[in-house]
Amino acid sequence: MDDENGSHLSVVIDLSPAQWHSSAQPPPDNPYPLPLSIFLAQLLTFLNAHIASKHENTLAVFGAFPGKSVMLYSSTDPPPQTQVIDANSYPPFKLVDSTIVTRVMEEFDEQAEITDEAPNSLVSALAKALCYVNRVTLPTTTTSSKQAEGRDPTILPDPRILVLSVSPDLSTSYIPIMNAIFSAQKLKVTIDVCQVYGPESVFLQQAAHLTGGSYIFLERRDALLQYLIMSFLSPPSIRKILSVPTQDKIDFRAACFCHKNIVDIGFVCSVCLSIFCQPVPVCSTCRTKFPMKTLQRLNAARPMLPASTASPSRAASSAPQARPSTTPATPKTNGSSAAPPGGLPHSGTIGNGTARTASANESGV
Amino acid sequence: MAPIPHTLIPFLQSQSQNTLTRLYQLPSSCLSIYRLLGPLERQLVMSLLWLESSVPPSVMAGWVIREGKQLYEGALSTLSRLHIISSPVGKLALNSTFKTSFRQAITGSGTSGSFGVPAEPDDKHPPLAVEGLDGYALERWETILHYMVSSGTGQSPTKPSTGVLYLLQRSGLMISHRGSPLQITSAGFQFLLHSPHDQLWDLLLQYLHMAEERKMDLVEVLSFLFMLSTMQLGREYSTENLGVSQKAMLEDLRDYGLIWQRRPTSKRFSPTRLATTLTSSSPPLPTAAGTSTGPQDGFIVLETNYRIYAYTDNPLKTAVLNLFVSLKYRFPNLVVGSITRDSVKKALNNGITADQIISYLISHAHPQMRKNNPLLPVTVQDQIRLWELERNRLKSAEGYLYTSFTSQADYELVLNYAKELDVVLWENKAKRCFFGSLHLLPITPALKDV
Repeated sequence: MDDENGSHLSVVIDLSPAQWHSSAQPPPDNPYPLPLSIFLAQLLTFLNAHIASKHENTLAVFGAFPGKSVMLYSSTDPPPQTQVIDANSYPPFKLVDSTIVTRVMEEFDEQAEITDEAPNSLVSALAKALCYVNRVTLPTTTTSSKQAEGRDPTILPDPRILVLSVSPDLSTSYIPIMNAIFSAQKLKVTIDVCQVYGPESVFLQQAAHLTGGSYIFLERRDALLQYLIMSFLSPPSIRKILSVPTQDKIDFRAACFCHKNIVDIGFVCSVCLSIFCQPVPVCSTCRTKFPMKTLQRLNAARPMLPASTASPSRAASSAPQARPSTTPATPKTNGSSAAPPGGLPHSGTIGNGTARTASANESGV
Repeated sequence: MAPIPHTLIPFLQSQSQNTLTRLYQLPSSCLSIYRLLGPLERQLVMSLLWLESSVPPSVMAGWVIREGKQLYEGALSTLSRLHIISSPVGKLALNSTFKTSFRQAITGSGTSGSFGVPAEPDDKHPPLAVEGLDGYALERWETILHYMVSSGTGQSPTKPSTGVLYLLQRSGLMISHRGSPLQITSAGFQFLLHSPHDQLWDLLLQYLHMAEERKMDLVEVLSFLFMLSTMQLGREYSTENLGVSQKAMLEDLRDYGLIWQRRPTSKRFSPTRLATTLTSSSPPLPTAAGTSTGPQDGFIVLETNYRIYAYTDNPLKTAVLNLFVSLKYRFPNLVVGSITRDSVKKALNNGITADQIISYLISHAHPQMRKNNPLLPVTVQDQIRLWELERNRLKSAEGYLYTSFTSQADYELVLNYAKELDVVLWENKAKRCFFGSLHLLPITPALKDV
């Protein structure tokens, strides 16, 4: 209940020009148009509200542009203050607003020169936000472990990340996003998601669910500010007594590692828990070879209903994903030799996600 | 569970709606008051801020889980006593003045100039750097505290200005016996052990009470304090747009170290860290960047044998320690003493409580001490508390002695009646007398009837 030391908020803004263009289209196809300018104005108000709440509150803002992600503002290393003080506004608000707007404009000007649109880099912005949280919390945690536990006034209590997304899911970003979720869990960072425009995001739903944040699909885009303030302004310590909306239905589907498709039924390597959309003879991640017999049986079982599957006790066989929902898929691993090469998700952690994946969506086939 | 509200909140609640509404006309005041509120209250204000129409209370209550109902009710009543929430029959809405001004504060619009008009840059006299301001504020503040702590010890530290002395006297922190030099009171001793942030607000609150008597405009005084708290450290502001009361305040605040001016007649002033951190809860007061050497955050090492090592050369800190420690030796950066029965008794006699001593030791413990769990040796903590209990062997209660009853029946009748009222503190049947905490005389006519 006490938030003596203020809280930290990192905001990740999805600034994909194409999506914002379609978001601004007039009503017939788009009941609540929301151009970027109005979105930014409402977002800046929200950010000001966050800074207003507590003198010690800190803020970082990251922008995700096509093919590029940048830090737009950070309160720990603020830009040099060259601005003139305006007697009508609180200087920190002015600083945040002007910095973010100028930086966004600069980036868009740069983007204008690039013709071919790269995929949006929401995940890299999210990763940067996590790195930032890690950076600002790390030095204090090391000194405090040298001192007594807790009581260090500079520790940021419950840091959180707010993702404002407008783009549909990019299935290639499944693995990095899962990695981001697991590092967020480790850092005890809450990820809140607001899908401002576009279809529901499967991956971001999972991100919010797994980190204890809330996911909101914006229905009334004209009321963005009210949504933001009611759901995302309060730090986690206050949310204990507020009933912040949480989603009742979460799409737990995963993307396969081979074609990056979102799959309803997948095949999981029993050694490293990589997910594939079809049975493969050799796991691409850990190079485990599977017996021909198992593959044939799995292939034969594929079009049919998933109930008749091989027993999971055979460690070498690839564990079919379609098992009853009550038993999570935890196949025995064959020792540490099966560690995945760098860049791919850690086997143990990715397994948590995929186990629920299959179980939640059996009926979807 | 309910958080303790800021010391200023009760004062604001005691003000009339008219005063508060005038105060809410300024965006900077709204922002500062908002920051002084508790977390739940802040969320409520924000939730209501951008709504054009009022909300039925049931809708708002739906945002709070059942276990939080009590806190929610408390937050609502705080806000309505501050007249931030006006609740006409069954609807919740923000006070319209507050709503307009706070919206202006958040969006940075409006033309009130309530965040301070910056002074024109002066090439001949650049503004004082942050270090200079910190040094100035620290020097001023420590002068006041040091004067308090060393009063009556025979030393004669530098005297703060008469305005400060008057304030100290008015607030009951110091007292003068028939023209003799000022003596610190027990409230003053307790004051010394508070955190600087609390001390500052204690004094300012007294200042506000005094302002009312000095016929100063309370709204101007409050809004000036709030304006200061939203200003930027290291900037210069112009005095042109200040009101009459506010100009009068410049001198007082200069004495407290809240603002700095090159000359008393200067048309510009700079707020110091004391002023700009008024509405923040963790006190980054100048002591954090002070002039004394050694670790700033904590400097006290306390051992189980009651010995205390204070790594400081700051005369104020030494003097405060001297309140409850018998000091043994001093080195250039170290003071050694021990906590004894006599030294603690002396402190207790001055009105300091055992809890205050312990919390002072905890909050100023050396980083090395923070390795220990519990932080202070239990033996020492317990002993300090026991010494306090020693003083409390006698408990006094005010009351009346009922005696010389003519008959046993009379005595018993009155005694039973008094027992029914639960006011009997002591009774003695043999002597036909008892001691009650309530004056029973008004009931005697009823007794006559019996």
